[in-house]
Amino acid sequence: MQEATFLILTALADGTQHGYGIISEVADISAGRVRLRAGTLYTALDRLRADGLIDVDREEIVDNRLRRYYRLSPEGGRRLAAEAARLQANARAAMKRLNPALGVI
Amino acid sequence: MADWSPTGAPFSISDRASASAQLERAYRRLVGFYPRSFRRESTEEIIAVLLATAREDQRRPSVMEAADLLRGALRMRLGLSGCPRTVLYAVRLMYLGALAQFGVLVILLMNWSGIEAAARGAATRSLGPHPAPAAVKYLYANIGATVGAELTADVVMTLLAIAGWALLAWANGRGLPYGRPLAIIACAAYAAVTAAGLGKGDMTYAPALAIASCVVVAVGIATVVLLVMRQSWPYYSRHVVAR
Repeated sequence: MQEATFLILTALADGTQHGYGIISEVADISAGRVRLRAGTLYTALDRLRADGLIDVDREEIVDNRLRRYYRLSPEGGRRLAAEAARLQANARAAMKRLNPALGVI
Repeated sequence: MADWSPTGAPFSISDRASASAQLERAYRRLVGFYPRSFRRESTEEIIAVLLATAREDQRRPSVMEAADLLRGALRMRLGLSGCPRTVLYAVRLMYLGALAQFGVLVILLMNWSGIEAAARGAATRSLGPHPAPAAVKYLYANIGATVGAELTADVVMTLLAIAGWALLAWANGRGLPYGRPLAIIACAAYAAVTAAGLGKGDMTYAPALAIASCVVVAVGIATVVLLVMRQSWPYYSRHVVAR
């Protein structure tokens, strides 16, 4: 799973978000490191919807602008959990080897 | 507040409104490059996001923004964005197939005289160790035309195959319902023609051609396998429901 995909799914993990909300959440989660551009975001959203990992939750009109809210699908939740567990296991293994004295949490 | 325009006068509300309107028009032009289905469903949404991420006094899209939108539009137009990974790989393979087929065409054209000479040599040998000059003359007069006609047919077939690959990539990238059956039929037909050609010994004159054709068949089989995998199904049924 690409990092942008992982971060987008993470942004949706605890609630629905609209496009701009996802961009700010992703910036937050990555401590400002990943700033998604609109083109990249919508290419990713298009694919994630096709893969059934996210769904459209609802649409709202705010200041005459359309806002479409997205949510994680059950399958998206499972995939994100599996990917998070994999990354965690890898990170833990790396930390352990770098400093055996640290032990494993 | 350092909210001053270059002329030194403060930004009026109308200045800001016109800058924002100018920026929005520029964004709309860029979004215009996206496929119609995306524009119909998501133009207003993506414009809202673009305006929300723009700087306060921005009048035109930055180079990076424009590049990002054009890249997104290209990916969607090639059908490489909205599909499951299996279909994505299949479509990429199909474009690769078109490229490989183009390679076959180049090999064919480059070896044209070689293939002709080899065919002539084989035919001459078939006349026996001491052929009558008249027989050789007759053979030469006819074989050029025969081999030429066959090669021309091969070139036409190859051009058709390039168009076929491109069409299949396009149709499957969009998840059109007939994309998959068409891919299966095309792959089976191409495999049959190649097998028949190999069986007849057509390609013994140009081993490179035989290898290239086998690669194309292998790519075709891989594509079909990807397209009929379980993960690919929702993409096609989605379109059936939508239309």
